[in-house]
Amino acid sequence: MDSSVLTAIDVDHLQVSYGSQQVLHGVSLSVAPGEFIAILGSSGCGKTTLLRTIAGFQKASGGAIRLFGRDVVRTPPEKRGMAMMFQSYALWPHMTVLGNVGYGLRLRGVPKTEIRGRVATILTMLNLSGLEDRKVTNLSGGQRQRVALGRALAIEPEILLLDEPLSNLDAKVRIQLRSEIKALQNRLKFTAIHVTHDREEAMTMADRIVVMDAGQIAQIGAPKEVYDSPNSPFVASFMGAENTVSLDIRPSGSGVEVRVGEGSAVSYNGEVPIGPVTAYFRDDVASLVDPDARIDGSIVLPGNITQRTYPGGHYRYVVAIGDRHFTVTDDRYHELDRPVGLRLPLASLHLFSNTQTTGGNHA
Amino acid sequence: MARPSFFGLLLIAPAWAMIGGLFLYPLGFSLIAAFTEPGGGLSLMHFQKAYELYSTDILFTIFIVIVSTLLTGLFAIVIAGILTLSETPWLVTALRNLYRWPLFIPFIVAAQCMRTFLAKNGLMNNSFVALGLMEPLQTTSLLDWRGIIITFVWKQVPFVTLMLAGAMASVDRATIEAGRNLGASRLRVLIELVLPQVAQTLLVGLVLSFVTMLSVLSVPMMVAGSQPTMLTVDMAFRINSYGDYATANALGVISYVIAGTVAWIYLRHNIKREVQA
Repeated sequence: MDSSVLTAIDVDHLQVSYGSQQVLHGVSLSVAPGEFIAILGSSGCGKTTLLRTIAGFQKASGGAIRLFGRDVVRTPPEKRGMAMMFQSYALWPHMTVLGNVGYGLRLRGVPKTEIRGRVATILTMLNLSGLEDRKVTNLSGGQRQRVALGRALAIEPEILLLDEPLSNLDAKVRIQLRSEIKALQNRLKFTAIHVTHDREEAMTMADRIVVMDAGQIAQIGAPKEVYDSPNSPFVASFMGAENTVSLDIRPSGSGVEVRVGEGSAVSYNGEVPIGPVTAYFRDDVASLVDPDARIDGSIVLPGNITQRTYPGGHYRYVVAIGDRHFTVTDDRYHELDRPVGLRLPLASLHLFSNTQTTGGNHA
Repeated sequence: MARPSFFGLLLIAPAWAMIGGLFLYPLGFSLIAAFTEPGGGLSLMHFQKAYELYSTDILFTIFIVIVSTLLTGLFAIVIAGILTLSETPWLVTALRNLYRWPLFIPFIVAAQCMRTFLAKNGLMNNSFVALGLMEPLQTTSLLDWRGIIITFVWKQVPFVTLMLAGAMASVDRATIEAGRNLGASRLRVLIELVLPQVAQTLLVGLVLSFVTMLSVLSVPMMVAGSQPTMLTVDMAFRINSYGDYATANALGVISYVIAGTVAWIYLRHNIKREVQA
């Protein structure tokens, strides 16, 4: 079977430049029909540029974009047949809800009465029934973004592009709309590319996550795969494993010996890189134990509690180890300045050899 | 409520004196003079005379100013639309650099330029003949109502474009992209999505242009000297040739009424928008 037919969006070595500055350095990405992809990255990594180039608002300087096998790199945006949601809602303030949602249908020559009927169906689906004749300027932020979603879905697009559409909304509405968009996508089976800098949003909505860094794709994978097995220090820190500890790993018998600085060695049998490594870990993998404790498969770093807060449900401690500070949560109450041990299970650390830049080991 | 402070009033007194002495007094005086007969009583005789002598010119003035305003609007929309929506960088740069020039040229200089440009043996016809587009015998002078309209439009398009392009630049770019994304051509985006968002600015620009063109003396006088002509020329003629201030004042009041009608349309539109919002 022709593989291109199976692909809804095929981005092939895409290059984009702003003047002399290259922003996308040969990005390749294949999205299957009905798949929900989240592009995640920090500001300036090129994620929005990638989306805008797929939509046709940014010209590519090299590479190809194929939508269901059709190369659209030179096709103007109005002929690409996609729908898009914008961060600023981008509703037309001089039109009513009906005018906004029905505009795409009007462009396609659908009769007025049919537009009214189809818009009413969409508004019911989005819990906006009866608001047809309301000016969009008289709606709340959440309602406006629902109207924008309705406007995008009214043309029954095969591909929906989402350019951080939820970032202007307050937390409660954001979470609600997140699940509504996902539910609609499951029901209507459109292919979606969602650009966001919100990790949780990407994790909860997407089938696959694309992490971008400096105009290149750093890692593509299912949310759990990217979260649990980041392939580079960048992806590890971006996915929340921002704490680092330097370790020295040496072969010993059938396994290895892991040493932190001048401290005692811990034996371990998992697969880890040998030599000087940096371990990346999230706050939630660390726990507080006795400073002299020796636990199999875990390293224990002795330190002192310097700060204690109670955010609700558990305590949050800041532990000073040498000149470094780590945040740990613990259910128990501990006094300040008390010597404690910071336990880090080796299996939960992302280990990256100091001699290589990418390719990690997830013990 | 606080009583107005004496020093506060003293501070604004010079401004009041200026407005009163240089604007309100002459305006009131000319209004009263237009309605006063030589004996001193109230009368519409000056309006009757103005109507008998210049009714064609009144219609001519209204025609010229309305057509010029509509054409100014049309050209301003086209240029501002290209500046906002064009994807051809060199065209945008060229247009951006060129379109403002007439703003800095006074009406009288513009009129003088048009005399040499639009005459039977003017630059325009000579160029067409030189290019082989026209025989010398086919050339005609455009120094009549067409010349006035061309000069007005040439002079006012940059002003309205400047306002309109500024307003279009401040429209959320995403609203333009949302339209194109759904399948609207750039022309439809301009007409259906961008223009309605800047209609208020366009209306202000056109109202100001309308009133400006209504009050220009040099252009109708220099570009088209023959009859019919515009009310400003008639007013100057009544005063300079006959010292007939009364009829000139009546013509002035007619000009106020024409300008006032446009101002009323503008205000009504504004109030309607405010009520909707």
